[in-house]
Amino acid sequence: MGSSDAIIEIESVSKRYGAIDALRDVSLQIPPGVTGLLGPNGSGKSTLIKALLGLLHVQSGQGRVLDYDWPRDARMIRDHVGYLPEDDCYVAGMAGIESVALMARLSGLSGREGLRRSHEMMDYCGFGEERYRDVESYSTGMRQKLKFSQALVHDPSLLILDEPTTGLDPDQRIAMLRRIRNLATEHGKSVILSTHILPDVRSVCDHVVILVDGTVRVVDTLDNLSRPIEPTILVSIVGDATLFAEQLTRAGYTVNPDPETNGLRVEGIQAHQADQLWRLAAETNTSIRRLEPALNSLDQIFMDVASGKSMAKSDITPNAISRGAGHANS
Amino acid sequence: MPIHDLGYRNWQEERTARFVRPWVIARTGVSLIWRRRWLRNVLMLAWLPIVVPALGIFAFEYSSTDPELQQFIAQIVRKPLAQPELASQIVNDPEAARHQLWSTLILAFFRYPQLFAMVVLIGLIAPKLISYDLRTKAYLMYFSRPLSPFQYILGKSAVIWFFLAMIVTVPAMLVYLLGVLLSPDLSVVMQTWDIPLRILAASAVLMIPTTALAVAYSSLSSESRYATFAWFATWAMGFVAYQVLTSTTAVVASGGDQGGHRGGRGNWEDLDIDFDRWRLLSPYHTLGKVQSWVFGLDTSSSTVVPAVLVLVTISVLSYWIIRKRIIARLSI
Repeated sequence: MGSSDAIIEIESVSKRYGAIDALRDVSLQIPPGVTGLLGPNGSGKSTLIKALLGLLHVQSGQGRVLDYDWPRDARMIRDHVGYLPEDDCYVAGMAGIESVALMARLSGLSGREGLRRSHEMMDYCGFGEERYRDVESYSTGMRQKLKFSQALVHDPSLLILDEPTTGLDPDQRIAMLRRIRNLATEHGKSVILSTHILPDVRSVCDHVVILVDGTVRVVDTLDNLSRPIEPTILVSIVGDATLFAEQLTRAGYTVNPDPETNGLRVEGIQAHQADQLWRLAAETNTSIRRLEPALNSLDQIFMDVASGKSMAKSDITPNAISRGAGHANS
Repeated sequence: MPIHDLGYRNWQEERTARFVRPWVIARTGVSLIWRRRWLRNVLMLAWLPIVVPALGIFAFEYSSTDPELQQFIAQIVRKPLAQPELASQIVNDPEAARHQLWSTLILAFFRYPQLFAMVVLIGLIAPKLISYDLRTKAYLMYFSRPLSPFQYILGKSAVIWFFLAMIVTVPAMLVYLLGVLLSPDLSVVMQTWDIPLRILAASAVLMIPTTALAVAYSSLSSESRYATFAWFATWAMGFVAYQVLTSTTAVVASGGDQGGHRGGRGNWEDLDIDFDRWRLLSPYHTLGKVQSWVFGLDTSSSTVVPAVLVLVTISVLSYWIIRKRIIARLSI
């Protein structure tokens, strides 16, 4: 990732709350696209987001967000960033459409244009007539969609979404993720998605950043993280696998049982070499039900990194660890 | 390209300047408060006292053709308003008395009915201004936009300024305009041109420290009732403390002779009682001192500087508290 491509490029960012280090010498480059910001509670995700928006003062650090110096031009940055806070927040006493129009006007849209654009964003987010109701009567899911409309109304080039799918029912969650993906792929938006819901990250993110204890532990593409160190193929077979496993071992592959599929994990073989598996299966009279390249589980990666096992685990891409550790200087 | 598309569309048009964005907060705040029917009723009631200075100015201007009415006005000015020199001037040289009489009537409008209306109005609208934002975390929405804490405070304060201007500045200006229209000719404008400026200055004296204090109370808690209580307590306790302390001093100085009280404040001042000593305890009396000075009608011997300093300190300290509270909330 070239530094000129990065939408966010920060160096040596530290933030302390009294004796607690919320961010420790964090250095990070985030490329365009959808980036998942992961980390256990208290890892510094929200602090990092607020620091990027200039909402809180950091003890050290400098860099660039979009085309603006950070933290010097924080207000310029906020003019070009759409922020969806994690907290349930709303301006009391206003209808939904008024809330969005207020945010539009605060971002510099004129009254009429702000209202027009607010209706457009509420349409996009799936609001009907309920946009004319007081926001205090909205359900949690509706407030999430309202915050999303507000984040989008000034057409920001970067969206920072803090737990955007919290409180949404399954249909709405899928719709929200589709919108996020659509904004990134069809409209050139970059998105930072802070969430605990790993399937959301898996479904929309191109890149992943994992923060633990105020340090960046992992920065890499989701593809790299998902790919095992050794190319591995999962094989499901019909009947007894003993002979087939022995034949694979004799052929020089490492074979382990896969408890999830009740099949075999054949390590050291690329997907394009699958014909060798067919040949060995034919030699041992074994029927293959399914063949697929193995992927690392994001859940497992997250749990390992969070629990501090990341450096030792072999199923996380070393490239990711070294990059992340390098940036974090930890 | 679709004829109609409810999907996302990019938007790249001219944006308004950043410095006007605090007025978006102010406009929204005013619009939200304006929806309360009872508040509109309070505003209507707050306009009623305008009748008194308007009638006073009307009577004064009309008295140039009616000597009996002139005598009647002079009597009122001499006794209830306790200004014998002005009363004599009204009879002997009404033209020269005009400026002082108009100023006196407008100052009285500022000092008595409108100061009371101001306390009530701010007590009803200000406590919710920031405390509700703290409770509903709306400050996160505001500060996700390119606003500074100063602009946010300015926008919130402007909501109160608008309503105070509605009940104080606008009616006072109308009274002045009425006086000009009722006067024999427009040369009166040359005599009284400074009164509108004094009205604006007195309005600023009234609005800035009181709004700052009320908004500071509002920022201290997410429960607006505490801010309401603190606001009314400040005025009531200050007023009562001043009255008790000055009365006690007067009684002691007069040797327990309550007869001095019958003669009013003037008699106590003859006893060299320093009424300015306790004034700074009471926001009501501190504001009154500065407003009297603004209208050029301050008759007390003490300097206005301590009262001005108190009001400036309240304003600066309140701004500092609000800013600190907001930044602290954002840091969580």
